Amino acid sequence: MRTLQLEFYKIRRRKVWLSMFAMLGVQLLWGLWAMRSPKDWELASGWMSLLYSLSVLDGVMMPTIMSLLASRLADIEHKGNTYKQLRTLHPAASLYHAKALCGAIILMVLLAFQAAFFILYGYFLGYEGNPDPRYYLLSYGLKFASCLSLFLLQLLLSMFFANQMIPLVVGLGGSMVALLVMFVSHYSFLPWGGNLSASVVGMNWDETSRIITYFYREYSPMEIAAVICIFIWIAVFYIAGRRLFTRREV
Amino acid sequence: MAVQNLIETHNLTKRYGKALSVNTLNMKVSPGAVYGFLGPNGAGKSTTLKMILGLVKPTAGTITLFGSPMDEKNRIRLLADTGSLIESPSYYGHLSGEENLHIIQTLKGCTKSDVDEVLKIVRLTDAKHKLVGHYSLGMKQRLGLAAALLGFPKLLILDEPTNGLDPAGIQEMRELICSLPTEYGITVVVSSHLLSEIDQMADHVGIIRKGELVYQDTLESLHAHAKEQLALRVGNPTVAADLLRQEGIETGQEEGWLLLPMLEDALAAKLIRNLVAQNISLYRIEQRETSLEDIFLSLTGKESSL
Repeated sequence: MRTLQLEFYKIRRRKVWLSMFAMLGVQLLWGLWAMRSPKDWELASGWMSLLYSLSVLDGVMMPTIMSLLASRLADIEHKGNTYKQLRTLHPAASLYHAKALCGAIILMVLLAFQAAFFILYGYFLGYEGNPDPRYYLLSYGLKFASCLSLFLLQLLLSMFFANQMIPLVVGLGGSMVALLVMFVSHYSFLPWGGNLSASVVGMNWDETSRIITYFYREYSPMEIAAVICIFIWIAVFYIAGRRLFTRREV
Repeated sequence: MAVQNLIETHNLTKRYGKALSVNTLNMKVSPGAVYGFLGPNGAGKSTTLKMILGLVKPTAGTITLFGSPMDEKNRIRLLADTGSLIESPSYYGHLSGEENLHIIQTLKGCTKSDVDEVLKIVRLTDAKHKLVGHYSLGMKQRLGLAAALLGFPKLLILDEPTNGLDPAGIQEMRELICSLPTEYGITVVVSSHLLSEIDQMADHVGIIRKGELVYQDTLESLHAHAKEQLALRVGNPTVAADLLRQEGIETGQEEGWLLLPMLEDALAAKLIRNLVAQNISLYRIEQRETSLEDIFLSLTGKESSL
């Protein structure tokens, strides 16, 4: 708890929150533009379409946003050569946990803000009925898990490489991978496809009527495996990051 | 009863691939000492100190801190009474000096008044609200020392603490280090590649060369190694050496000079009279001293920087 508080203390004046909300702001503007002036048939399934659109937006943007977040948290230690001092004062594993937890909390706040913003926007647009809390909670739970796996991957890279260009390029590359995955499938076993697998809403596009029908997904065994894979990635990146951080000589 | 050493290393060894950075090093630091860890650049000083702090894992050997063998489990507990400044100071440039120390204070569990006191000791009180990114190198170094001093640990490990300081800063740092054992009861291990620096700060010295500890004792003993000699420049050194040998004086020769051990004034006068009486021309006579630099160079090799 003490080291977690210090993590937030250390990022003072680093504008971590500002940079995160700036990235989220881009996503929000993109969402506002994409969902503007819905048609009548869109209003009927508005709450479902919102979840689907957000999974696409997050799929593309979250790898980059998570790389930026991890980089901002790890970079302060590289810049000031602080690992060699911190590791004489506190167990390395505890320092790693504090950093991972700090990132997870920031991620949680971002997702909560995103959810609140778009739900209000949905009401503003006049979506019919109310959002189904079960699906929204499940969706945001899986989204959080998927983003957490990306964050832990990026944290591992950002703590390992002093040059933050490397993890940032991996994050941007991850966004590209996610975009490519979307063209070929609605689930993926890759860490960058996690947001796609995590989507609780699917869609059918009728070519003749040009109408999109949204539906809550019934997961096939492969899709369930892809969702489980998100949690496997979390475990893999957490264990790898922890081992790397605690065993690395400074 | 024998006094327990604060640091003892037993056959401490570190190998990076094929390169042996530290080789079976046995270091002993007694309480209350200012232990000067001296050696040329790349001799293995920083690696040794990092191993003592648990930042680098030894390939072989053991480390005992405050009488307890150090391992991964008890490392942080043993280091709780240790402060360190390794290579360059650690700092968060976007935080003020005081905020940087607040982080160390929280991790060490000491008080706010400790922060104020160490800031005063290193003369950074006036700059405590300034962002450390705007500090000069010397100020950063002093902040690093303040962080190491926080909580007034029993043992302070400083790796080249005068790096980057101007002459006044070096002098100040030197005086501060010398005062730590007497004023705060802190034992100091300070590394340097400069013999003159260690000579002015330390009372114990360990000299490391290519990873091996080639000398370890009090600085006083090292000074005792500095021997005086008489050097004679004569017309016929071979004959003169024979004559002196007959008088029971063994000589050495170096670049045309005859080197004699230091003699009593009366004996020296008698020998000189004998040489002159034997028609040996005496051009010069000098009293020479083997300096600490000579000893250091003989221990560490001529390529070492002083």
